[in-house]
Amino acid sequence: MTMQNIALAKPAAAQQSRTSPLVVRNLGGIVLVAVIGAIFAFPILWATLASFKSTTEIITKTFPLSWASFVPLQATLENYVYLFTEVNFQLNLLNTVIAGAGQVGLAVVVSSLAGYAFARLRFPGRELVFALFLLTAFIPVEAIIVPLYQIMQQMGLVSTFPALFLPFACNPFGIFMMRQAFRDVPLEMEEAAKIDGCGPLRVFLIIALPNVKPTLATLVLIQFIWSWNAYLWPLVVMQDPTKQIAQVAIANLKSLPNIPMDGPLFAAATAVTIPLVILSIVLQRYYVRGLVTSGMK
Amino acid sequence: MAAAGTMARRRQIGRSGELLLGSAMVLPAFVGLALFKLWPLLSAALDSLQTFRPFDRVSTGWVGLQNYIDLLADPDFRSAPVNTLLYIVLIVGITIPLALYLAVLLDRRLPASTWARNAIIAALATSEAVTALVWNQMYEPSVGLFNAILTALHLPEQPFLTSGSEALVSIVIMTVWKEIGLPVLIFLAGLQAIPQEVPEAAKLDGASERQTFWYVTLPMLKPSIVVALFMMTVTATRMFTPILIMTQGGPQGATNNLALYSYQLAFEYQSPGLAAASVICMVGVLALVTAAQGYLLQDKDSK
Repeated sequence: MTMQNIALAKPAAAQQSRTSPLVVRNLGGIVLVAVIGAIFAFPILWATLASFKSTTEIITKTFPLSWASFVPLQATLENYVYLFTEVNFQLNLLNTVIAGAGQVGLAVVVSSLAGYAFARLRFPGRELVFALFLLTAFIPVEAIIVPLYQIMQQMGLVSTFPALFLPFACNPFGIFMMRQAFRDVPLEMEEAAKIDGCGPLRVFLIIALPNVKPTLATLVLIQFIWSWNAYLWPLVVMQDPTKQIAQVAIANLKSLPNIPMDGPLFAAATAVTIPLVILSIVLQRYYVRGLVTSGMK
Repeated sequence: MAAAGTMARRRQIGRSGELLLGSAMVLPAFVGLALFKLWPLLSAALDSLQTFRPFDRVSTGWVGLQNYIDLLADPDFRSAPVNTLLYIVLIVGITIPLALYLAVLLDRRLPASTWARNAIIAALATSEAVTALVWNQMYEPSVGLFNAILTALHLPEQPFLTSGSEALVSIVIMTVWKEIGLPVLIFLAGLQAIPQEVPEAAKLDGASERQTFWYVTLPMLKPSIVVALFMMTVTATRMFTPILIMTQGGPQGATNNLALYSYQLAFEYQSPGLAAASVICMVGVLALVTAAQGYLLQDKDSK
């Protein structure tokens, strides 16, 4: 025992002196990893810096290459002022939040209910219906956008807020994720509640739901990010500009003919992207788990 | 006896209660599925067998497979599935090996790993629309950043998105930047699930680092690789937003794919029948991919 302790203590003591050789030995790797990080961060940082340049500076100073290609030499907030006074971008942000709240709220309720039923309740056809959900999980909105739009038209929902989030109420990934989480809740806890006289609905609400909070957080985050980043469906189904969401409004800044809007474009891109980037990095434990399980069938 | 009878009856009631509650709990999800997935698919399938008057979209009758035959005759359509395939091959072919390399590198947990991992997650959390708009600015041929960098390096300027031969590759490079985070994270999760002792045992047995990777780590990552392959194939098949924002399918259809083509048929050329046929073709591609993954996963389970 003593021998072992000494043997163990030796490398620990040596570690101090070894720290610098460790860095030196891995210097190539460290530099490589840092450069890779820089490549991935670059477009976001570049756009953020550009949002503090005037449109003229962006157009005339990016080319040829100089410091002005990257850094705003005469930093200005004029793009943000323009965005929030002339374009009413805050209205688009508000619409994005409304659509996001609708989608998150609906999808969380629908996924929890269905996930619990698939995990714990026995009813005929359960496996078949669950298989149907999984089977259709990989049909993205891009593939069915045309018939989906026609159906929205028949339902009279075009250009309404519900049209922005109703189609995403049933999220097969969410159902799958919740089913896995409910399956991991110890069965004994639910049995105990049943013996105490709880009906299945009360077991679900009082025992099961509080035990899957981390998965609920993951689902809320993933669903929120999907909704926040949606572009194509709002573009098609929302034809009322006062109810349009931010992502589409940003893209509209690109297509104004003959009036370069590069400054406001970068400002708007920064305003919607940076909060989300910070959110996904801070909450990456949940975000990554959601992304990875959404891929794990 | 009587007690057993009541027990059984109580269980019976419990069962029918579960049936009722279970159905009620699945119902909202099922309604969503039926209205917004199954119905659109069914209506696309039916529409693809009819023709329509262009403006009021009233059906003018059943035409069998005529829409599919017309699609095949349309030269624009021929480029759409070819490009869909090109996007799949290029995006999957680049992201999977690159993501594997990045995951192994990040798994070494060097001091800069957190920074790189955060940057990759940031790219993943950026929307497709913003990514396309920002890269569009960088690709801009006359005043854009990439040509400024090329000129500073004394390299020839490139037309990027404005050239038929470079536009698709330019979109692919941007997509790799944005989407590679997903396979990287899947591989990192896979690598962390491998017990530390396994590669260590291989090393003790005299395997080199490279041999350990190819013969020990890689086979153990197979489930992760199958999932990542599948996710990236779906990502590549459904490519839409960047193409719409950056090139609208041009120049001369060079970046058009099935997803964008059916959108254009429906909303720009007012031909619902053809659009529906194109939708069914795309769903067909996705179904093939799904079936292939199901097959691969089954293969894994049986081993």
